[in-house]
Amino acid sequence: MRSSVRRGAIAAPVALVLGLGVGACGVLPELPDPVPSDIVPSRAVTFAPQGGEQLSPDGFDAVQRMAVRIRNVGCAGLSTGSGFAIDEHTLITNRHVVADSETLEVSTYDGQDLEVSAASSARLADLAVVRTLDALPSYPELAVGDPRTGDAVSVVGYPEGGELTVTAGEIVGTTTDPLHENLGEVLITDAAVEPGSSGSAALDADGRVIGVVYAKTSDGRSLLVPLSTLQDVLADADAFTALPPCSS
Amino acid sequence: MTQPEHPPVWPPPSPGAPVADGAVAGPPPRRRALPLVLALLLVASLALGGYLWLTTVRWQGDSAAWESEARGYADQVASLQAELDATGAELVAAREQLATATERIRGLANEKAQLGDENVASQQYLDYQTRVSEAAAAVATALNQCIDAQSQLIGYLEDRDAYDADDLERFAGDVEGLCQQADDAHSELQKELAQEEAP
Repeated sequence: MRSSVRRGAIAAPVALVLGLGVGACGVLPELPDPVPSDIVPSRAVTFAPQGGEQLSPDGFDAVQRMAVRIRNVGCAGLSTGSGFAIDEHTLITNRHVVADSETLEVSTYDGQDLEVSAASSARLADLAVVRTLDALPSYPELAVGDPRTGDAVSVVGYPEGGELTVTAGEIVGTTTDPLHENLGEVLITDAAVEPGSSGSAALDADGRVIGVVYAKTSDGRSLLVPLSTLQDVLADADAFTALPPCSS
Repeated sequence: MTQPEHPPVWPPPSPGAPVADGAVAGPPPRRRALPLVLALLLVASLALGGYLWLTTVRWQGDSAAWESEARGYADQVASLQAELDATGAELVAAREQLATATERIRGLANEKAQLGDENVASQQYLDYQTRVSEAAAAVATALNQCIDAQSQLIGYLEDRDAYDADDLERFAGDVEGLCQQADDAHSELQKELAQEEAP
């Protein structure tokens, strides 16, 4: 009986000390881990450059690079118009831009002259196709469908045969062609155009073709051959006929 | 009256062991455990102190290492920031230069186009002038021939009896043909001139 009392008297303090020690282990700070030699970020670093979509090989954006200036050297005189590439060797412009031509001369945004191999015009729309021997710098995509009223539109071309110009506006509505050059309805926009803008590409906000400028109204609006007409004409192999030579 | 204290005995006698006077005796357990507890506390304190000292030293070293790393990275960040600022300034300047260059290219392309237009227009005007000159020369030649022939015919007619009437009539027809050619040449010239007047 006395032996057990003595054991208890010793064990209790020992247990107390050990208990305190064990308890203190949870409270005491741990030793630090060694400093890593290579510290890596805890989050993945991402960087999205701003304005990168405007980069191009020479500072001109795709909209400007696909526009061409067309010089119609006719038997009776000289006229200029605009056009745009739809593939590496094919241009779209207006029929009246290339009509009565002895030769057609095409130049790009940077003044490069492209040799023309053939030209043909559509019978039922004020559209023409010009094919070049030299490769065109850039060509846009066609939009999915015709634009709606209120949609943004930009026109890129050579008004008055001058500098390459981009004007902006929106689709105002549709109408039947007052010039009777096109079947079906045509689009009206408030984007500014001038003589020489004929054949300019009308683009949507994503830079896709939605029409072709062919005329200007008396109240300063512009008329577009809609994309659907362009697609119909391009899909019909018989829609185009070779340009007749000019006659003085 | 207090009892005399017995000096502690180590090792403590086993419980129940007989002592010299033949009685079973010993210090109370609480008194015997106290040194042990104190010793254990001392050891624990020393261990704790040693651990805390070691921890402090390690954390100091660790802190110094982290501070060194942080200062290194701060230097790196400052250097990169300076490089970024310089690169940003260069980028702005390059963009301005690019804008100027593209504007210049656009202007040169336009100048080239205008010169091409003027060249074509000049060539067309030159062609026109050539056609007009040729037409005028043809008119002049035809008129000269007409006038010469008419003068010759007048001479023949003044001495009508000396010539055969049929020959005179045939010659008069030839003269009329020459003058008609002059008239045609003149009409051609008028047509060329009319083209110039057209818009």
